[in-house]
Amino acid sequence: MSKRATVIACLLVLLLIAGLALLRQSGANREYSSDQFLMDTLVSIKVYGNDRETLKTAVAVAYAEMHRIAELADGFAQPGTAAYQSSDVCRINALAGKKPVQVDGDTLAMLVLAKKYYQLSEGAFDVTVGPLMDLWGFGGKNPHLPAPDQIKAALKSVGCQDLVLNEQDRTVLLRKEGMKLDLGAVAKGYATEKALQALKKRGIEKALIDAGGNIRVLGQNVHNSAWRIGVKDPRKSNEIVAVLALEDTSAVTSADYYRGFEAGGKRYHHILDPRTGYPAAHNMTVTAVTQDAGQADILSTVFFVLAPEKALQLAEKLAGVELLLVTADGLIRHSTSLRGRLEVQPGAAYRYDQSR
Amino acid sequence: MTRADKVLLVGILLASLVSGTALYSRFFLDPVGAQPIQAVVTVSGKAFRTIALQSGARSSFVVQGRQGASKVEVDGRRVRMQQAPCENGICLKQGWIEHPGQSVVCVPGEIVIRIEGAAPLDAVTR
Repeated sequence: MSKRATVIACLLVLLLIAGLALLRQSGANREYSSDQFLMDTLVSIKVYGNDRETLKTAVAVAYAEMHRIAELADGFAQPGTAAYQSSDVCRINALAGKKPVQVDGDTLAMLVLAKKYYQLSEGAFDVTVGPLMDLWGFGGKNPHLPAPDQIKAALKSVGCQDLVLNEQDRTVLLRKEGMKLDLGAVAKGYATEKALQALKKRGIEKALIDAGGNIRVLGQNVHNSAWRIGVKDPRKSNEIVAVLALEDTSAVTSADYYRGFEAGGKRYHHILDPRTGYPAAHNMTVTAVTQDAGQADILSTVFFVLAPEKALQLAEKLAGVELLLVTADGLIRHSTSLRGRLEVQPGAAYRYDQSR
Repeated sequence: MTRADKVLLVGILLASLVSGTALYSRFFLDPVGAQPIQAVVTVSGKAFRTIALQSGARSSFVVQGRQGASKVEVDGRRVRMQQAPCENGICLKQGWIEHPGQSVVCVPGEIVIRIEGAAPLDAVTR
Protein backbone atom coordinates (compact mmCIF):
# COMPACT_ATOMS: atom_id res chain seq x y z
CA MET A 1 0.00 0.00 0.00
CA SER A 2 1.27 3.48 -0.76
CA LYS A 3 1.93 5.80 2.18
CA ARG A 4 -0.97 8.02 1.25
CA ALA A 5 -3.38 5.08 1.00
CA THR A 6 -2.28 3.92 4.45
CA VAL A 7 -2.94 7.34 5.96
CA ILE A 8 -6.37 7.50 4.35
CA ALA A 9 -7.16 3.98 5.51
CA CYS A 10 -6.13 4.86 9.09
CA LEU A 11 -8.30 7.98 9.08
CA LEU A 12 -11.25 6.05 7.75
CA VAL A 13 -10.80 3.37 10.43
CA LEU A 14 -10.89 6.10 13.09
CA LEU A 15 -14.08 7.49 11.58
CA LEU A 16 -15.51 3.98 11.55
CA ILE A 17 -14.76 3.42 15.22
CA ALA A 18 -16.31 6.78 16.18
CA GLY A 19 -19.39 6.06 14.09
CA LEU A 20 -19.89 2.58 15.50
CA ALA A 21 -19.47 3.85 19.06
CA LEU A 22 -22.16 6.40 18.38
CA LEU A 23 -24.51 3.89 16.79
CA ARG A 24 -24.07 1.67 19.85
CA GLN A 25 -24.82 4.56 22.15
CA SER A 26 -27.88 5.73 20.25
CA GLY A 27 -29.15 2.14 20.20
CA ALA A 28 -29.00 2.02 23.99
CA ASN A 29 -30.86 5.30 24.13
CA ARG A 30 -34.01 4.24 22.37
CA GLU A 31 -36.91 5.76 24.30
CA TYR A 32 -40.22 4.17 25.07
CA SER A 33 -42.82 6.12 27.02
CA SER A 34 -46.36 5.49 28.07
CA ASP A 35 -49.13 7.25 30.07
CA GLN A 36 -51.85 5.73 32.22
CA PHE A 37 -54.40 7.25 34.56
CA LEU A 38 -54.41 5.45 37.87
CA MET A 39 -54.61 6.26 41.58
CA ASP A 40 -56.49 9.46 40.66
CA THR A 41 -53.58 10.87 38.73
CA LEU A 42 -51.56 10.64 35.52
CA VAL A 43 -48.67 8.18 35.69
CA SER A 44 -46.01 8.53 32.98
CA ILE A 45 -43.25 5.98 32.59
CA LYS A 46 -40.29 6.63 30.31
CA VAL A 47 -37.59 3.99 29.78
CA TYR A 48 -34.47 3.71 27.64
CA GLY A 49 -32.71 0.69 26.18
CA ASN A 50 -31.87 -1.26 23.03
CA ASP A 51 -34.90 -3.30 22.27
CA ARG A 52 -38.36 -1.80 21.93
CA GLU A 53 -40.17 -5.03 22.82
CA THR A 54 -38.17 -5.44 26.04
CA LEU A 55 -38.93 -1.83 26.97
CA LYS A 56 -42.62 -2.23 26.20
CA THR A 57 -42.96 -5.42 28.25
CA ALA A 58 -41.06 -3.92 31.19
CA VAL A 59 -43.36 -0.89 31.23
CA ALA A 60 -46.47 -3.10 31.06
CA VAL A 61 -45.23 -5.12 34.04
CA ALA A 62 -44.47 -1.90 35.95
CA TYR A 63 -48.02 -0.58 35.38
CA ALA A 64 -49.45 -3.95 36.44
CA GLU A 65 -47.56 -3.64 39.73
CA MET A 66 -48.99 -0.15 40.27
CA HIS A 67 -52.53 -1.32 39.51
CA ARG A 68 -52.13 -4.17 41.99
CA ILE A 69 -51.01 -1.82 44.80
CA ALA A 70 -53.75 0.68 43.86
CA GLU A 71 -56.38 -2.04 44.30
CA LEU A 72 -55.04 -3.13 47.68
CA ALA A 73 -55.02 0.46 48.96
CA ASP A 74 -58.27 1.73 47.37
CA GLY A 75 -60.27 3.19 50.25
CA PHE A 76 -63.23 4.28 48.11
CA ALA A 77 -64.40 0.95 46.66
CA GLN A 78 -68.14 0.30 47.08
CA PRO A 79 -69.26 -2.74 49.12
CA GLY A 80 -70.38 -5.62 46.95
CA THR A 81 -68.03 -4.81 44.09
CA ALA A 82 -64.95 -6.75 42.96
CA ALA A 83 -62.85 -3.69 43.78
CA TYR A 84 -64.11 -3.84 47.38
CA GLN A 85 -63.18 -7.53 47.67
CA SER A 86 -59.63 -6.91 46.47
CA SER A 87 -59.11 -3.83 48.66
CA ASP A 88 -57.31 -4.70 51.88
CA VAL A 89 -57.93 -1.18 53.15
CA CYS A 90 -61.72 -1.49 52.71
CA ARG A 91 -61.78 -4.84 54.50
CA ILE A 92 -59.63 -3.56 57.38
CA ASN A 93 -61.88 -0.48 57.75
CA ALA A 94 -65.05 -2.58 57.64
CA LEU A 95 -63.81 -4.79 60.48
CA ALA A 96 -62.45 -1.96 62.66
CA GLY A 97 -63.04 -2.79 66.32
CA LYS A 98 -64.13 -6.31 65.39
CA LYS A 99 -61.41 -8.65 64.20
CA PRO A 100 -57.99 -8.81 62.50
CA VAL A 101 -57.91 -9.05 58.70
CA GLN A 102 -55.50 -11.18 56.70
CA VAL A 103 -53.77 -8.95 54.15
CA ASP A 104 -51.36 -9.02 51.22
CA GLY A 105 -47.64 -8.75 52.06
CA ASP A 106 -47.48 -5.36 50.32
CA THR A 107 -50.36 -3.95 52.37
CA LEU A 108 -48.58 -5.04 55.51
CA ALA A 109 -45.29 -3.55 54.26
CA MET A 110 -47.02 -0.20 53.61
CA LEU A 111 -48.55 -0.18 57.08
CA VAL A 112 -45.28 -1.16 58.77
CA LEU A 113 -43.58 1.74 56.98
CA ALA A 114 -46.43 4.09 57.90
CA LYS A 115 -46.29 3.14 61.57
CA LYS A 116 -42.53 3.59 61.65
CA TYR A 117 -42.92 7.20 60.48
CA TYR A 118 -45.82 7.78 62.87
CA GLN A 119 -43.42 7.01 65.70
CA LEU A 120 -40.50 8.91 64.17
CA SER A 121 -42.63 12.02 63.60
CA GLU A 122 -44.28 11.77 67.03
CA GLY A 123 -47.73 11.60 65.48
CA ALA A 124 -47.35 14.25 62.77
CA PHE A 125 -47.95 11.48 60.25
CA ASP A 126 -50.82 9.06 60.78
CA VAL A 127 -52.49 6.69 58.31
CA THR A 128 -55.52 6.37 60.62
CA VAL A 129 -56.48 9.95 59.64
CA GLY A 130 -59.48 8.55 57.68
CA PRO A 131 -62.28 9.80 59.99
CA LEU A 132 -60.90 13.36 59.77
CA MET A 133 -60.58 13.21 55.99
CA ASP A 134 -64.22 12.04 55.81
CA LEU A 135 -65.36 14.78 58.15
CA TRP A 136 -63.71 17.46 55.99
CA GLY A 137 -65.06 15.71 52.88
CA PHE A 138 -61.68 15.63 51.15
CA GLY A 139 -62.39 12.27 49.53
CA GLY A 140 -65.60 13.54 47.93
CA LYS A 141 -66.77 16.41 45.79
CA ASN A 142 -67.77 18.95 48.44
CA PRO A 143 -65.10 19.51 51.08
CA HIS A 144 -66.24 21.87 53.82
CA LEU A 145 -65.16 23.37 57.13
CA PRO A 146 -66.37 21.20 60.05
CA ALA A 147 -67.42 22.59 63.44
CA PRO A 148 -64.68 22.51 66.14
CA ASP A 149 -66.58 19.97 68.29
CA GLN A 150 -66.95 17.66 65.27
CA ILE A 151 -63.17 17.77 64.78
CA LYS A 152 -62.65 17.07 68.47
CA ALA A 153 -64.92 14.04 68.24
CA ALA A 154 -63.27 12.70 65.06
CA LEU A 155 -59.81 13.02 66.64
CA LYS A 156 -60.86 10.34 69.15
CA SER A 157 -60.97 7.83 66.27
CA VAL A 158 -57.50 8.77 65.01
CA GLY A 159 -54.27 7.25 66.32
CA CYS A 160 -51.74 4.75 65.04
CA GLN A 161 -51.26 3.35 68.55
CA ASP A 162 -54.50 1.48 67.86
CA LEU A 163 -53.30 0.07 64.55
CA VAL A 164 -52.25 -3.49 65.38
CA LEU A 165 -49.90 -5.17 62.90
CA ASN A 166 -49.14 -8.85 63.23
CA GLU A 167 -46.29 -9.57 60.84
CA GLN A 168 -46.16 -13.27 61.66
CA ASP A 169 -49.83 -13.96 60.88
CA ARG A 170 -49.91 -11.12 58.32
CA THR A 171 -52.98 -9.58 59.91
CA VAL A 172 -54.09 -6.02 60.57
CA LEU A 173 -56.56 -4.71 63.13
CA LEU A 174 -57.90 -1.26 63.87
CA ARG A 175 -58.62 -1.64 67.56
CA LYS A 176 -61.58 0.77 67.84
CA GLU A 177 -64.81 0.86 65.88
CA GLY A 178 -65.05 3.99 63.74
CA MET A 179 -61.34 4.04 62.96
CA LYS A 180 -60.39 4.26 59.29
CA LEU A 181 -57.20 3.88 57.29
CA ASP A 182 -56.30 6.38 54.57
CA LEU A 183 -53.25 5.37 52.52
CA GLY A 184 -53.37 8.53 50.41
CA ALA A 185 -49.90 9.59 51.59
CA VAL A 186 -48.33 6.15 51.19
CA ALA A 187 -49.72 4.05 48.36
CA LYS A 188 -48.71 6.14 45.34
CA GLY A 189 -45.07 6.30 46.42
CA TYR A 190 -45.00 2.65 47.40
CA ALA A 191 -46.54 1.65 44.06
CA THR A 192 -44.03 3.86 42.22
CA GLU A 193 -41.14 2.12 43.93
CA LYS A 194 -42.63 -1.30 43.14
CA ALA A 195 -42.95 -0.26 39.48
CA LEU A 196 -39.35 0.89 39.40
CA GLN A 197 -38.10 -2.34 40.92
CA ALA A 198 -40.10 -4.24 38.27
CA LEU A 199 -38.36 -2.23 35.53
CA LYS A 200 -34.98 -2.96 37.10
CA LYS A 201 -35.73 -6.66 37.27
CA ARG A 202 -36.39 -6.59 33.52
CA GLY A 203 -32.92 -5.19 32.89
CA ILE A 204 -33.87 -1.52 32.49
CA GLU A 205 -31.05 0.81 33.54
CA LYS A 206 -32.49 4.23 32.67
CA ALA A 207 -36.04 5.17 33.62
CA LEU A 208 -38.22 7.99 34.87
CA ILE A 209 -41.56 7.45 36.56
CA ASP A 210 -43.73 10.53 37.09
CA ALA A 211 -46.76 9.57 39.18
CA GLY A 212 -48.67 12.85 39.33
CA GLY A 213 -45.54 14.73 40.32
CA ASN A 214 -44.03 11.98 42.48
CA ILE A 215 -40.77 11.43 40.65
CA ARG A 216 -38.57 8.31 40.72
CA VAL A 217 -35.53 8.11 38.43
CA LEU A 218 -33.28 5.15 37.68
CA GLY A 219 -29.70 5.67 36.53
CA GLN A 220 -28.87 8.82 34.60
CA ASN A 221 -30.81 10.60 31.88
CA VAL A 222 -30.46 10.08 28.13
CA HIS A 223 -27.49 12.47 27.99
CA ASN A 224 -25.70 10.39 30.64
CA SER A 225 -25.94 13.09 33.25
CA ALA A 226 -28.12 13.60 36.33
CA TRP A 227 -31.84 13.94 35.65
CA ARG A 228 -32.97 17.57 35.93
CA ILE A 229 -36.11 17.72 38.05
CA GLY A 230 -37.89 21.04 38.56
CA VAL A 231 -39.73 21.86 41.79
CA LYS A 232 -43.07 23.53 41.09
CA ASP A 233 -43.62 27.10 42.24
CA PRO A 234 -46.35 26.76 44.89
CA ARG A 235 -48.15 29.88 43.73
CA LYS A 236 -47.62 30.15 39.94
CA SER A 237 -48.64 27.49 37.47
CA ASN A 238 -45.99 26.40 34.96
CA GLU A 239 -43.14 27.97 36.98
CA ILE A 240 -40.50 26.42 39.17
CA VAL A 241 -38.59 27.53 42.27
CA ALA A 242 -35.66 25.13 42.01
CA VAL A 243 -34.01 22.43 39.92
CA LEU A 244 -32.70 19.22 41.48
CA ALA A 245 -29.99 17.11 39.81
CA LEU A 246 -30.89 13.51 40.66
CA GLU A 247 -29.58 10.02 39.92
CA ASP A 248 -31.27 6.80 41.00
CA THR A 249 -33.45 8.47 43.58
CA SER A 250 -36.91 9.92 44.09
CA ALA A 251 -38.35 13.34 44.78
CA VAL A 252 -41.86 13.65 46.20
CA THR A 253 -43.67 16.90 46.92
CA SER A 254 -46.50 17.69 49.33
CA ALA A 255 -48.02 21.13 48.91
CA ASP A 256 -50.95 23.29 49.92
CA TYR A 257 -52.18 24.02 46.39
CA TYR A 258 -54.12 20.81 45.78
CA ARG A 259 -57.64 19.77 46.71
CA GLY A 260 -58.56 22.83 48.69
CA PHE A 261 -61.55 25.07 49.21
CA GLU A 262 -62.30 28.53 50.57
CA ALA A 263 -64.52 29.32 53.53
CA GLY A 264 -64.89 32.67 55.26
CA GLY A 265 -62.09 34.18 53.15
CA LYS A 266 -59.63 31.48 54.20
CA ARG A 267 -58.23 28.65 52.11
CA TYR A 268 -58.16 25.11 53.46
CA HIS A 269 -56.22 22.26 51.84
CA HIS A 270 -56.27 18.49 52.29
CA ILE A 271 -53.07 17.73 54.22
CA LEU A 272 -54.36 17.55 57.77
CA ASP A 273 -52.25 17.61 60.90
CA PRO A 274 -53.52 14.45 62.63
CA ARG A 275 -52.71 15.98 66.02
CA THR A 276 -54.96 19.03 65.59
CA GLY A 277 -57.44 17.91 62.92
CA TYR A 278 -56.82 21.07 60.85
CA PRO A 279 -54.77 21.57 57.65
CA ALA A 280 -51.07 21.94 58.40
CA ALA A 281 -50.12 25.57 57.86
CA HIS A 282 -46.34 25.86 58.26
CA ASN A 283 -45.32 25.34 54.63
CA MET A 284 -46.48 26.08 51.08
CA THR A 285 -44.57 23.15 49.62
CA VAL A 286 -42.00 20.57 50.70
CA THR A 287 -40.01 18.13 48.57
CA ALA A 288 -38.50 15.03 50.13
CA VAL A 289 -35.57 13.47 48.28
CA THR A 290 -34.54 9.91 49.07
CA GLN A 291 -33.90 6.76 47.06
CA ASP A 292 -37.07 4.80 47.91
CA ALA A 293 -40.18 6.45 46.46
CA GLY A 294 -42.43 4.92 49.14
CA GLN A 295 -40.35 6.44 51.88
CA ALA A 296 -40.15 9.76 50.01
CA ASP A 297 -43.95 9.89 49.72
CA ILE A 298 -44.45 9.44 53.46
CA LEU A 299 -41.60 11.81 54.31
CA SER A 300 -43.02 14.58 52.11
CA THR A 301 -46.18 14.52 54.24
CA VAL A 302 -44.22 14.24 57.50
CA PHE A 303 -42.09 17.26 56.57
CA PHE A 304 -45.09 19.23 55.33
CA VAL A 305 -46.95 18.82 58.61
CA LEU A 306 -43.95 19.63 60.82
CA ALA A 307 -42.74 23.18 61.45
CA PRO A 308 -39.85 24.00 59.04
CA GLU A 309 -37.10 23.93 61.67
CA LYS A 310 -38.29 20.59 63.02
CA ALA A 311 -38.61 19.15 59.52
CA LEU A 312 -35.06 20.22 58.63
CA GLN A 313 -33.72 18.77 61.88
CA LEU A 314 -35.43 15.46 61.18
CA ALA A 315 -34.12 15.38 57.59
CA GLU A 316 -30.56 15.97 58.81
CA LYS A 317 -30.97 13.10 61.25
CA LEU A 318 -32.16 10.54 58.67
CA ALA A 319 -29.48 8.93 56.50
CA GLY A 320 -29.92 9.45 52.75
CA VAL A 321 -32.84 11.84 53.20
CA GLU A 322 -32.87 15.39 51.90
CA LEU A 323 -35.43 18.15 52.03
CA LEU A 324 -36.30 21.36 50.21
CA LEU A 325 -39.16 23.52 51.47
CA VAL A 326 -40.89 26.85 51.00
CA THR A 327 -42.27 28.11 54.31
CA ALA A 328 -45.70 29.71 54.62
CA ASP A 329 -44.04 33.15 54.65
CA GLY A 330 -42.11 32.48 51.43
CA LEU A 331 -38.66 31.44 52.67
CA ILE A 332 -36.88 28.74 50.66
CA ARG A 333 -34.83 26.42 52.88
CA HIS A 334 -33.11 23.06 52.39
CA SER A 335 -31.06 20.42 54.16
CA THR A 336 -27.27 20.85 54.02
CA SER A 337 -26.52 17.80 51.91
CA LEU A 338 -28.74 19.00 49.06
CA ARG A 339 -26.31 21.80 48.28
CA GLY A 340 -24.42 20.94 45.09
CA ARG A 341 -27.38 19.07 43.62
CA LEU A 342 -29.69 22.05 43.75
CA GLU A 343 -30.19 25.29 41.82
CA VAL A 344 -32.60 27.60 43.59
CA GLN A 345 -34.52 30.11 41.46
CA PRO A 346 -36.29 32.19 44.10
CA GLY A 347 -37.51 34.92 41.71
CA ALA A 348 -39.18 37.96 43.22
CA ALA A 349 -41.81 36.15 45.26
CA TYR A 350 -39.53 34.17 47.62
CA ARG A 351 -36.46 34.67 49.75
CA TYR A 352 -33.67 32.10 49.83
CA ASP A 353 -32.13 31.10 53.18
CA GLN A 354 -28.62 29.87 52.37
CA SER A 355 -27.52 29.47 55.98
CA ARG A 356 -27.39 25.70 55.77
CA MET B 1 -1.26 -2.17 -4.17
CA THR B 2 -2.13 -5.85 -4.18
CA ARG B 3 -5.66 -7.10 -4.89
CA ALA B 4 -6.19 -7.80 -1.18
CA ASP B 5 -5.18 -4.19 -0.34
CA LYS B 6 -7.80 -2.90 -2.76
CA VAL B 7 -10.53 -5.14 -1.31
CA LEU B 8 -9.60 -3.99 2.17
CA LEU B 9 -9.66 -0.33 1.15
CA VAL B 10 -13.06 -0.63 -0.52
CA GLY B 11 -14.39 -2.44 2.55
CA ILE B 12 -13.12 0.28 4.88
CA LEU B 13 -14.49 2.97 2.56
CA LEU B 14 -17.98 1.46 2.61
CA ALA B 15 -18.02 0.96 6.37
CA SER B 16 -16.78 4.51 6.88
CA LEU B 17 -19.52 5.84 4.69
CA VAL B 18 -22.10 4.24 6.99
CA SER B 19 -20.53 5.48 10.21
CA GLY B 20 -19.82 8.87 8.64
CA THR B 21 -23.50 9.22 7.84
CA ALA B 22 -24.36 8.29 11.43
CA LEU B 23 -21.95 10.94 12.76
CA TYR B 24 -23.27 13.55 10.34
CA SER B 25 -26.89 12.91 11.21
CA ARG B 26 -26.09 12.97 14.93
CA PHE B 27 -24.14 16.21 14.97
CA PHE B 28 -25.32 18.19 11.97
CA LEU B 29 -28.94 17.30 11.49
CA ASP B 30 -30.47 18.12 14.82
CA PRO B 31 -33.75 16.20 14.65
CA VAL B 32 -35.31 18.12 17.54
CA GLY B 33 -34.21 21.61 16.53
CA ALA B 34 -35.22 21.06 12.93
CA GLN B 35 -38.83 20.26 13.74
CA PRO B 36 -41.42 22.88 14.63
CA ILE B 37 -42.71 22.69 18.19
CA GLN B 38 -45.67 20.34 18.47
CA ALA B 39 -48.38 19.84 21.03
CA VAL B 40 -49.77 16.33 21.34
CA VAL B 41 -53.23 15.70 22.75
CA THR B 42 -53.95 12.24 24.17
CA VAL B 43 -57.10 10.71 25.62
CA SER B 44 -56.70 7.75 28.01
CA GLY B 45 -53.07 7.40 26.89
CA LYS B 46 -53.92 7.22 23.16
CA ALA B 47 -52.88 9.90 20.66
CA PHE B 48 -55.81 12.09 19.62
CA ARG B 49 -54.25 14.98 17.71
CA THR B 50 -50.86 16.59 17.03
CA ILE B 51 -50.78 20.35 16.48
CA ALA B 52 -47.85 22.33 15.04
CA LEU B 53 -47.42 25.46 17.18
CA GLN B 54 -46.66 28.35 14.82
CA SER B 55 -46.92 32.03 15.54
CA GLY B 56 -49.99 33.65 14.11
CA ALA B 57 -52.05 30.48 13.81
CA ARG B 58 -55.24 30.31 15.91
CA SER B 59 -57.62 27.44 16.25
CA SER B 60 -59.67 25.46 18.69
CA PHE B 61 -61.14 21.98 18.70
CA VAL B 62 -63.22 19.64 20.81
CA VAL B 63 -61.81 16.56 22.55
CA GLN B 64 -64.12 13.86 23.85
CA GLY B 65 -62.75 12.84 27.23
CA ARG B 66 -64.21 10.41 29.74
CA GLN B 67 -66.37 13.14 31.27
CA GLY B 68 -67.61 14.58 27.99
CA ALA B 69 -66.46 17.28 25.59
CA SER B 70 -63.54 19.55 26.43
CA LYS B 71 -62.25 22.35 24.22
CA VAL B 72 -58.59 22.97 23.43
CA GLU B 73 -57.49 26.43 22.23
CA VAL B 74 -54.35 27.08 20.20
CA ASP B 75 -53.00 30.64 19.97
CA GLY B 76 -49.77 30.76 18.00
CA ARG B 77 -47.06 29.03 19.97
CA ARG B 78 -49.19 28.42 23.04
CA VAL B 79 -52.05 26.10 23.87
CA ARG B 80 -54.52 25.67 26.74
CA MET B 81 -57.65 23.90 27.85
CA GLN B 82 -60.42 26.41 27.22
CA GLN B 83 -63.51 24.53 28.40
CA ALA B 84 -64.00 21.39 30.46
CA PRO B 85 -67.10 19.60 31.73
CA CYS B 86 -65.67 18.57 35.11
CA GLU B 87 -66.49 20.34 38.36
CA ASN B 88 -63.06 21.21 39.68
CA GLY B 89 -61.64 22.67 36.44
CA ILE B 90 -58.03 22.02 37.46
CA CYS B 91 -57.03 21.76 33.79
CA LEU B 92 -58.46 25.24 33.13
CA LYS B 93 -56.45 26.71 35.98
CA GLN B 94 -53.25 25.29 34.52
CA GLY B 95 -53.52 28.03 31.86
CA TRP B 96 -51.41 28.43 28.73
CA ILE B 97 -48.39 26.26 28.07
CA GLU B 98 -45.74 26.92 25.42
CA HIS B 99 -42.42 25.28 26.34
CA PRO B 100 -41.34 21.72 25.52
CA GLY B 101 -41.97 19.43 28.48
CA GLN B 102 -44.95 21.43 29.81
CA SER B 103 -48.34 19.78 29.96
CA VAL B 104 -51.97 20.32 30.89
CA VAL B 105 -53.56 17.30 32.54
CA CYS B 106 -57.26 16.63 33.08
CA VAL B 107 -57.48 13.59 35.37
CA PRO B 108 -61.28 13.00 35.31
CA GLY B 109 -61.41 13.36 31.51
CA GLU B 110 -58.11 11.47 31.09
CA ILE B 111 -56.90 14.15 28.67
CA VAL B 112 -53.30 15.31 28.36
CA ILE B 113 -51.94 18.18 26.26
CA ARG B 114 -48.15 17.96 26.16
CA ILE B 115 -45.59 20.06 24.32
CA GLU B 116 -43.03 17.83 22.68
CA GLY B 117 -39.39 18.55 22.03
CA ALA B 118 -36.10 18.89 23.88
CA ALA B 119 -37.13 20.13 27.31
CA PRO B 120 -34.77 21.87 29.72
CA LEU B 121 -36.15 19.68 32.52
CA ASP B 122 -36.73 15.93 32.60
CA ALA B 123 -39.76 16.31 34.91
CA VAL B 124 -41.31 18.55 37.56
CA THR B 125 -42.14 17.42 41.09
CA ARG B 126 -45.35 18.95 42.41
